[in-house]
Amino acid sequence: MDGETVLDSLKSQFQDAVMDAMVDSQPPHIVCANVDKEKIVDVCAYLKDNLQFNRLSGITSVDFLDKNKFEVVYMIASYDHSVIVKLKADVVRDENPSIDTVIPVWWNANWYEREVYELMGIYFNGHPEMTVLVLTDDMMGEWPFRKDYPGFPQTAAKYPYSDDQESVVESEYPLKWKSWPSERHYLE
Amino acid sequence: MVNKHDVKKRMRQLAADYIHEPQQEAYKLDDTEMMLHIGPQNPIQPGPFLIDLKISGETVRDSKLYMGYGHKGIEKILESLTYIQGLPITDRMCYLSSLSNNEAYVSSVERLLDIEPPERSQYIRVIMQELSRIQSHLLGTGEYATDLGFVTMFLFMIREREYVLGLIEDITGARITHCFPRFGGVREDLPEGWREKAIDVLAMINEKCETYKELFSSDRTYRMRTVGIGTLTKEDVIKVGLTGPALRAAGIDYDVRKVYPTLTYPDIDFKVQTGNNGDIFDRIMVRINEIQESCWIIEQALDQIKPGPLFPDELPYGRRTPSMRVPPGEAYVPVEDPRGEIAIYIVSDGTDKPYRVKVRGPSFALMQGLPPMLENVYIADVPAIAASMDSCNSEVDR
Repeated sequence: MDGETVLDSLKSQFQDAVMDAMVDSQPPHIVCANVDKEKIVDVCAYLKDNLQFNRLSGITSVDFLDKNKFEVVYMIASYDHSVIVKLKADVVRDENPSIDTVIPVWWNANWYEREVYELMGIYFNGHPEMTVLVLTDDMMGEWPFRKDYPGFPQTAAKYPYSDDQESVVESEYPLKWKSWPSERHYLE
Repeated sequence: MVNKHDVKKRMRQLAADYIHEPQQEAYKLDDTEMMLHIGPQNPIQPGPFLIDLKISGETVRDSKLYMGYGHKGIEKILESLTYIQGLPITDRMCYLSSLSNNEAYVSSVERLLDIEPPERSQYIRVIMQELSRIQSHLLGTGEYATDLGFVTMFLFMIREREYVLGLIEDITGARITHCFPRFGGVREDLPEGWREKAIDVLAMINEKCETYKELFSSDRTYRMRTVGIGTLTKEDVIKVGLTGPALRAAGIDYDVRKVYPTLTYPDIDFKVQTGNNGDIFDRIMVRINEIQESCWIIEQALDQIKPGPLFPDELPYGRRTPSMRVPPGEAYVPVEDPRGEIAIYIVSDGTDKPYRVKVRGPSFALMQGLPPMLENVYIADVPAIAASMDSCNSEVDR
C-alpha cells in the first residue's frame, strides 16, 4: 500500500469531510488531510477498519492565535505497511473548545488526549477520565501550552523573586496545595 | 495534645478532596481488597512515578498510574529557543538515549530546511545511533537484573558499558548528554585510531553477549521469575500501541529502521530481532540480540565509510551561526530509539524559533500500557514486569 491509494480511498469515501488532502513529497511521504471535526471519529474508524491503520502514533495540538483556532493533529501509522497519515481537525478557539474522543477506535488515545487537554485546554467529549496527567492539580485550567500563556505558572509567578521592586506582587507563599499525594494512603 | 483520630479523619478528608470524581471509582474497595502505593520513589526504575495497586490477597486486581513528578515542559522551552539552542535541550529528555533524541530533532529540522547530510556524516550518525543503542540496552538489561536480585549480571554489564561510553566519549567528548549531530552534518569527525579501537571493543562486546545469554538462560531462579511472566500477546501489543523491543518480543518484526529508513540504513544488512512468547525473558533476549546486531551494523558502517566532507557545500545557514530562518512548514520523521519509535513534530512559521514542538516518545506508550499488564499478577512480580519494559520516566514527563 502506498500514499496515493490511501489518499484516493479517503477522498472517495469522505468527499465533504476531507479537505486539502495531499501526499508529502519528502520521505516518509506522509498523507496530510484536514478533516471536519464532526467527522473525525468516522474517518479514524474507516482508516482502521478498511486500510489497516492499527497504530495511533500520537495526538497533539497547535494553537493558532491569529487565526483564532486550534488544530488537533492525529499521527496514524500501521504495523502492516509504511504509510503515515496526518489528520488535522480545526477547533474554534472559544470558551470551551472541544472535539470527540477517538478512544473507541484506538485504546491508546487515552493518555494523548489527557495530555492535550491539560496542556492546551481542548476537551475530548466522551473521554472516561479527563484529569491531570503530567501537571500538578492546581495548574489545571491554566493551559500552559497556549500561545497567550504568560510563561510561568500563575502560582509561581507570584513569588517575590524579581529585582524590579515595582513588579513584585504580594506573595502567597506557601502554596495552598489541596493535599500532598503521599497523604492518600490514609484513604483506607 | 493532638487527637490521633482527628488527624486521621482530616487526612481522609484531604485525600477525598484530592481524588477526582472518576478516580474515586477506582478507589472503591470491597471487603477483601486494599490499596497499595508504590512510589513516587520506586524500585522499578530511576525516575519518580506512583502506582496505586488495588490488591486482593497477593494478587493485583487493578492499578492506576500517576505521572508528572518531574515534568520539565521541554516542548514549551523549545518554542522559546532558536533551533540550534534547542538541540542540547533534547538531550535531557532521556539521558540514556540522548543521541536518538538529537537525531529525531535534527532530522526533522533537516526536512524543513530541505538539506541532506553528506554520506560520511550519515555513516557517522548511524555509528553513533548504534553505539547509543548498545549502551542503553546494556544498562537497561543490567539494571533489570539488579531488580531481580541478580547483581552479578549488573556488574558485568556496567563494566562492558564503560568501554562503549569510552568510544562515544572519544568522538563527542561527553558521556551521556552528547549534543552531537548538526543540521546537515555532524560536529566532529572520527578521531585517528578510533576504528581499530572500536573493532576491538565490539568484538569483545559480541563475545560477552554470548556469555550473558548463557548466564540468563541457565540460571534457574532467573528463569522462574521471567519465563511466562508479564506476557503480552500480539493482540495486546497492537492494542496498546507499543514499539521497540517490547513489541518485537511478541513476534512482530516492526523496526523503524526498516519501515522508514533514514540515513544510510538501506545500505546496511541487518535483521530485526524478534521473540516468540512476549514474556519478560523474551524482552531481555531481544535486547541482548539487538546489541549483537548493532555491533554488526557498526562493523559494516566502518567498512563502508569513505573519506569526505562532513557538511554539504551549500548550507542555508553559516555553520557556526547561532540563528537561522527556517522555511514555514511541518516535519515529522520517525527514528528508532533504543525503546521504540521517537519522532519530533515541528511546526515552523518562518522565524528562527519553532512555532510548536511535539515529542512523540516511546516511553509514553510503554508507560500507558502498564496497567493492563499488571492485572492479576502477584505483587512480587510488579517490579519485574514494569522494569522489563525499560521505559524512561524522564521522557514521559518531558
